[in-house]
Order: sequence, then structure tokens, then C-alpha cells
Amino acid sequence: MKIIKDKVAKLSFVALLITMTAAMFYAPTASAHGEKSQAAFMRMRTIHWFDLNWSKEEVPVNDTMTISGKFLVFKGWPETVDKPEVSFLNIGIPGPVFIRAGSWIGGQLVPRSVSLELGEVYEFKVLLKARRPGDWHVHSMMNVQGGGPIIGPGKWTTITGSMGDFVNPVTTLTGQTIDLETYNLENTYFWHAVWFAVAFAWLLFWIKRPMFVPRHIAVSTGKASTLISAGDKKIGMVFAVGTMVIVAASMGTTNSKYPVTTPLQAGLLRGMKTYQMPEATVSVKIDDATYRVPGRAMQMTMTVTNNGDTSVRLGEFNTAGVRFLDPEVHEDETAYPDDLLAEEGLTVSDNSPLAPGETRTIEVTASDAAWEVYRLADLIYDPDSRFAGLLFFWDENGSRQLVTVDAPLIPSFI
Amino acid sequence: MSASQSAVRSRAEAVQVSRTFDWMILFTLFTAVLGGYHIHYMLTGGDWDFWTDWKDRRLWVTVAPIVSITFPAAVQACLWWRYRLPIGATLSVVALMLGEWINRYMNFWGWTYFPVNFVFPSNLIPGAIVLDVILMLGNSMTLTAVVGGLAYGLLFYPGNWPVIAPLHVPVEYNGMMMTLADLQGYHYVRTGTPEYIRMVEKGTLRTFGKDVAPVSAFFSGFVSIIIYFLWHFFGKWFAKTDFISDEAS
Repeated sequence: MKIIKDKVAKLSFVALLITMTAAMFYAPTASAHGEKSQAAFMRMRTIHWFDLNWSKEEVPVNDTMTISGKFLVFKGWPETVDKPEVSFLNIGIPGPVFIRAGSWIGGQLVPRSVSLELGEVYEFKVLLKARRPGDWHVHSMMNVQGGGPIIGPGKWTTITGSMGDFVNPVTTLTGQTIDLETYNLENTYFWHAVWFAVAFAWLLFWIKRPMFVPRHIAVSTGKASTLISAGDKKIGMVFAVGTMVIVAASMGTTNSKYPVTTPLQAGLLRGMKTYQMPEATVSVKIDDATYRVPGRAMQMTMTVTNNGDTSVRLGEFNTAGVRFLDPEVHEDETAYPDDLLAEEGLTVSDNSPLAPGETRTIEVTASDAAWEVYRLADLIYDPDSRFAGLLFFWDENGSRQLVTVDAPLIPSFI
Repeated sequence: MSASQSAVRSRAEAVQVSRTFDWMILFTLFTAVLGGYHIHYMLTGGDWDFWTDWKDRRLWVTVAPIVSITFPAAVQACLWWRYRLPIGATLSVVALMLGEWINRYMNFWGWTYFPVNFVFPSNLIPGAIVLDVILMLGNSMTLTAVVGGLAYGLLFYPGNWPVIAPLHVPVEYNGMMMTLADLQGYHYVRTGTPEYIRMVEKGTLRTFGKDVAPVSAFFSGFVSIIIYFLWHFFGKWFAKTDFISDEAS
């Protein structure tokens, strides 16, 4: 029995060593943000990102690029997620590979959290300055307090050059121009070195003499008072008084060197300017919706009524950042990420122009591997099995209308 | 050699063994405190210590001393009452700060490239030295808790001000005023740390105008007194020796 136990132990140890060695040879970089793992209903029923544009695909260090577009704060926001009353426009990148040089919602700078209204559309822009070379997946992103990060579509962007060349000049209100990348670094090292030196001196004063065994014997035999001499107390006083003198003096010199300082700034920005989309003259009623698991396709039966004065056609269904297009109506010209674009993914049973005043019931199929790749099919396992998305209709003049849809989804396994 | 024989043959050899033992214990104690204290401080003080845009004049000043006086009090209880070594607080804080500097440099800068001037740790050394000296001079847990605990809280903010002040210089940025520390937090993107998570400048301390840091420091000192007592007892309890009676004999 003992031999078997020893063998098992030995083999387990060898297996552990092999695993660790193998891990050293293959440790891939985690480049994405788990966007596919986020619950599908979170991505489909909270923030709908559209009209996104990444201004560049390759950026040299110190150069800038923008991500711009719009987002709709969905009216049918799920009950299980806190409302976006305190939100922060973020950017999904692996650490500070870019710096966020600016971010705006409705033209207002948003370095702080904002309050968003359900059902409203907002225009946004994020200005990024390239810092660290590499290929990075750059996402739009909205953090919602109580809801977590709601990550939008991402696109691969390449930063070229050397990080050593990166500079981040800032001019303060006292007129000094500094490089925020290295500012205050020497001062930080200096003061920490000073205090470490003082602490080591105090420790050295005590640990240079015999410590544990003889001192324990002395304490145990009632001779503890002999272990601290009058000289030790004087040295202790010097350290304590010296510490307070250094603290007071360094604070005084710092205040004279930096006479103007302000507290950290924090707060919530309310009343953000919304973006007014053209009034929709098309109304849509979802009669039923099913997701065919084997076919990776969502089928919707909808009744569409055109209340406008020009005919319209359905060109796009957008959900969770995945765009399903009918190429006969609309083609993408924005270099939208390939993996999120189903250029021929939208099939409509009758997509002839819907005349003014006409009502038609149509079968709409949105099919693409993206349902699986982006794990949107997992919606059928969500606690509230409803889907939502944006339908875009185009009229004869090329004008676009946005209509939101929100309905229960029935999975079909055959 | 039988069990009844001494392992050393001379006084000189005994002294040498004792010193070797000292260094082994010291190294073990230092690394154990470094690990335990570091985890404790990261879990309780965490973001307030990680980022400059969390180092405000209210909550950072209040929280950091309260949660960091713990291990110094406990290690003092062991080293002072058993060995009369007045280095418990300094040893703990040096271990913590060394661990933190390794963490900030290797992880925050080395792995994720946050600039060190944005993620350096807080300085806790001035309070620790004063805490050790007060225990040595007074030989009293109560005195150390009351005077030392208060001093620990009061010294924290001025002890860090020379490093923090340059980052509180204001800047106008796209039509808004913020400090350089705020700007660091805005520029250097933290995907998992949105702005609203920051617990800064919150509270009801609004009747002291701009001079809230001293009031926060006093409050922190008062709470540090209580925490000192608690953790000093923890330290005594962990450091005691218990003998189990041999009922069979």
C-alpha cells in the first residue's frame, strides 16, 4: 500500500512539474475583454451602440484616434440591472495602452459619471492618444453603477512605435508645463527613500544586538527592565522627535513650493444633451420571435405600418453590436468590424417598398455565425428570455428611421 | 550525541547559533508579516492606496491609518512583551511598504504599464516609528494606544503631503478644472474602475471649509486608538504559549 501511495505522490509531482513547464512555454496574451461572456440580455437590452466609427486602424505612439457614434439607452431596460442613473463612459482596452485624452457625450466633456435617461439617444466621442505599441481590441463601453460594465463593439487597432517616446504634456493653472507620464516621480522616490532610510536605521539599531533567545530569557526571568537602557531611550526620543521635525519641515517646504493646491474633483453630471433622431413614421409590432438553435438564426414575424409619406424598406437589424444587413437596401461603408457585421445576414420575406399608409406582415430572419460566436444564442438560458434590438428603415431619399423592438423569444431546437 | 547533550560546545558557538536563529526568525517574521499585512491592507485599504486620484483629504486620510494600524499593534504585542523589542510597528510597516513597492513596480507598471507616479503606495513610516518609541518609553499598551494611536492617525496626512501635494496642483482641461491626480485617473484608463467607484470627498464634513484634512486625521486617530487595543490583544493572544496537561501521567 505504501509503495502505491509513494508512486502516486511521485507521479503527481512529476505531472505538476510538467504542467508548470508547459505553461512556461505557452502563455498566450489575454487581449480581449470577455465581451462574449457577458449575459446576452445585458448586451441586447441595455445600451445599443450604433453609427460607430473608429477613425484609424493604425496609430503611431503619441498620435490620436477617435471612437465616435451614438448609443440608445434602451427603454425596456431589464429589471435585474440597475438603471443607468450613475454611469461612466469608459473605453475597453487592455490597460492604458492608449490614454483617454478626452471623452464627450452630447458635446460635453465627461471625465465624471453621468446620469442617463431611458429611451434617449446620445452622441458620444472618445479621443485616444496612442501610448503602448501592439495590436489592441478597442471597445466602446459604458459602466453602470449596480449594473457593471456594458461593453460595446470592439475593433482591432495597431499602435506602432516605441513606448519610450510617449509624452503627456499638461500645463497647470499655475503656468507650469509638465509631462504627466513622469511628473513627480523623482520626488516620490526621494521621500520614500528618506523614510525607508529612517526606518532601516531604527530597525538596525535594534537588530544589530542579540535578539530573540537572550532577550526572551531575560524577560522570562524578570529582567526585562535591563533590556532597555537610558541610552536606548535617548536614541528613541531622537527618532521620535526627528520624525516629527521631518514631517513638519517637509510639510512646510511643500506648502511653500506648492502654494496653490485644490481637492480632488468628483461629482455627477446630470442633464446630458440628448441626440434627436428623426421622428419615426414606421411602427412595428412583433407577432412572434423564435431562435432556431441548429440554424443559428432568429426569425421574427412582425407587422409593419408605414405612417409616413414616402415608402420605406427594412435594411438593418442591430442587436448587441452585431449588424444584420439586407445588401439590397443598405451596405456598410464605415469599415465596421467584420466579425460583427453580417453583410447579407438579413432576409425579409417581402422587402419591396412599403407604401405610405400600408400595413404588411413580414417574416424577418437574422442569421449569422455571430449568434454563436458572440454567444447571443445563450439568450435562451437567460432569466428573462426576451430579445431587443434596433431596426433601421430607409426611405426612397436615403433617409433613415430607427425603430426599437423588444419581445419574448422562443427557442426552437429542431 | 545523546538527547541530553548540548548542541553547542562553547559559549562562542552558542552566541553564533543564537544569532543565526535571530536572522532566521527575523526573516521568517518579516516575510510572514509582509504577506499577511499586504493582503489585509489591500483588502481593506485597496484602491485608496493604489491610485493617486483616490488619495483625498477625507476618506483616504480616515481609512488608511485605521486599517493599517492593525498589524503594527499585533506585532508590537509579540515583540515587546516577550522580547522587549520596540520595532514591531516599524518592522510591519517596512514589510508592508516593501511588498507594496514590489507589487506596484512589478504588477502595476511591469505588467499593465500604469505609470509609477500614479500608483505609488502611501507612506506609513512616520507613524510607525512614533508608535514604537512611545511603547518603548511608556512600556504601556494603554499609553501607546491613546497617544501612539492618535499620533499614528495625525501623522499620516502630513507624512504623505510632500509626495501628494504636487499632484493636487489644479489644471484646466477642456473647460473643466481638475487636479493633476484627477487627470491621471482620467488619462490612464482603468476599464474595471469607473469614476463612480471612487470614494473621495464624500461625507457630511462641510462646516470646516477647506480645512477638512486635520478633522479627518483626528477622527482617524481616535478610531485608530480603538483598533490598536483590539489588535494588540490579538497579537498577545497569538504570541502566548499554552501547555497542555499530560493527564495520562
